[in-house]
Amino acid sequence: MKKAASVLRYVILTLGALIMILPFFWMLSTSLKTQPETVQIPPVWIPKQLQWGNYVEAFKAAPFARYFVNSVIVTTVTTVGQLFTSILAAFAFSKLHFWGRNLVFMIFLGTMMIPGEMLIIPNFVTLSNMHLVNTYGALILPWLASFFTVFTLRQTFNSVPDQTYYAAKIDGASDWRFLWHILVPMSKSTITAVTVLQVIGSWNAFMWPLIVTNDENMRTLPVGLQAFTTDAGTNYALLMAASTFVIIPMVIVYIFLQKYIIAGISNSGLKG
Amino acid sequence: MQVTFKDVTLSYDGKRDILKHLNFVIQEGSLVCLLGPSGGGKSTTLMLISGLLAPTHGQIYFGDTDVTKEDALGRKVGMVFQNYALYPHLTVQKNIEFPLKMAGLSRADRAKKAHELAALVHVDDQLDKKPGELSGGQQQRVAIARALAKEPSILLLDEPLSNLDARLRIEMREEIRRIQRETGVTTVFVTHDQDEAMHISDQIMVLHDGHIQQFSTPKTLYASPDNLFVAQFIGEPVINSVPASALSHDLAGVVSDDILSRAQTAGIRPEALTLPQRALDPLTTLHGKVIEFDQFGRESTAKLDYNDLQLISTEMGQLPHNTQELDFTLEKKGFFLFDADGKRIFGGDDHAE
Ligand SMILES: Nc1ncnc2c1ncn2[C@@H]1O[C@H](COP(=O)(O)OP(=O)(O)OP(=O)(O)O)[C@@H](O)[C@H]1O
Ligand SMILES: [Mg+2]
Repeated sequence: MKKAASVLRYVILTLGALIMILPFFWMLSTSLKTQPETVQIPPVWIPKQLQWGNYVEAFKAAPFARYFVNSVIVTTVTTVGQLFTSILAAFAFSKLHFWGRNLVFMIFLGTMMIPGEMLIIPNFVTLSNMHLVNTYGALILPWLASFFTVFTLRQTFNSVPDQTYYAAKIDGASDWRFLWHILVPMSKSTITAVTVLQVIGSWNAFMWPLIVTNDENMRTLPVGLQAFTTDAGTNYALLMAASTFVIIPMVIVYIFLQKYIIAGISNSGLKG
Repeated sequence: MQVTFKDVTLSYDGKRDILKHLNFVIQEGSLVCLLGPSGGGKSTTLMLISGLLAPTHGQIYFGDTDVTKEDALGRKVGMVFQNYALYPHLTVQKNIEFPLKMAGLSRADRAKKAHELAALVHVDDQLDKKPGELSGGQQQRVAIARALAKEPSILLLDEPLSNLDARLRIEMREEIRRIQRETGVTTVFVTHDQDEAMHISDQIMVLHDGHIQQFSTPKTLYASPDNLFVAQFIGEPVINSVPASALSHDLAGVVSDDILSRAQTAGIRPEALTLPQRALDPLTTLHGKVIEFDQFGRESTAKLDYNDLQLISTEMGQLPHNTQELDFTLEKKGFFLFDADGKRIFGGDDHAE
């Protein structure tokens, strides 16, 4: 009886894992197919002959090196900047007592109810008034503050007792020092988790970069993938080959940091 | 450092006063316990001494200096919190060194000092561990070492022992007393455990309802409680408190009529009710029934019925079996009368201290 239950559990988990992995497998498989194989019915799971040449061709099809540099710059600056502002804000909301703190916090919390799509047009108008369209500024500026990150960090900072803050004060640490030398190291795992989520988020961002850039030189990788969709249709093999090298850095990040991501999401953040 | 509060009032929200016009002096080099029920304002008083909290009204002096406007750093206090508040990501040594680092001491000086302090509190073999790897008692010691690191003018401890088991508590309170004697630092210790307070303090301040109920030596606190609250709060088993009117017949002629007429409540410590043959300094003799008698080892408790009131005595060890009714002695020591406001008007010693 017990054994049957455990077998059943494995079967369900395995099925779940297969379903999750299927798109990745399909991407890899398609990236190694010939053009006709990609649209063949019934679908081809494993190409007859692996078309490694697709990768070379895909890389040549668009200035991916430039896109890559853009993606790295945008992702790095966005993540670092957003983390910096969020840590400061979360600290203030968690440990400082200032007039109107709860009110401000509630208002910020309210902004989380606004769907991101609704902000696209106002943000675009603002940035174009600032003549920032087609610049890194447009790609980065709107993402330098994220209340979701502030909120997550505040929860973690709240779990650090106020006494620790007082102890540091008595020991002679300034707020600044306490924040960076004690609070942040104590919240390491949550910070790592939100960092990774943010890196993945900005690396994969598509809609916003697509809207605020039309200059080839300003495109990021996900937007660059459009190169394979023309009026004549989509070259799926090349698109999937390019997609593969776009996501590889994220897969690597995930593999190395998955421990923290899981800890951060399940918010057991503080064991250190 | 001598600490003086002059008419200190504190309100967190501007509406309700948590501490009301506090006046006291803590003598240099002494160990003072703040004792009282939960919510009495003990932690708040400690926060005021530390400078983490500023009083709403009144002044605080360290020695002759007015430090009311100084923060915790300026007052140079050391503090140990109930949860120890160690930095979990730093080793024991780094924890102890932290205040020294903030003060700008060189690496070598810091290490030397940390080793000395670790030796003082007996954690010198744990220096490379993280706090999470230590037992509660060890964490406690590290917290004390860290608080002592910058040679504080005053050491403040907020219920530092409440997370420890009973045995360790007794051991650690002796340790705190030893460390306090060795360093001579003025120490204020918050607890709601009267046993703890009675054992280690030079003086005890009983706080309740935002007022100092009494501030005196442990002995005086027990032998001459200023009011009914203190009498009931201190002592285990709890003092018998009965309406004074029930005793007025037996007390007539022993206590002056004037006092008897004002007395509202009588307090009788359980050890003040003895058998006549064992009486030391009898006030009068009472007559009552035995309701229940328990003996365990050397200790005993007898529940007596006196004028339909229940009294507990711990001094009836020699009571013959199957005693139903008896005459028993009310000792002078341990008998008090309180007026309608709860103020002591009879018993105890007014010239103590
Ligand atoms: N930060 C605060 N804001 C508002 N009210 C507070 C705050 N801290 C304490 N109080 C209130 O002040 C009163 C005294 O609290 P305090 O913590 O000083 O009591 P205590 O004697 O230390 O009690 P305990 O034994 O439970 O620690 C309580 O009524 C409490 O609710
Ligand atoms: Mg308290």
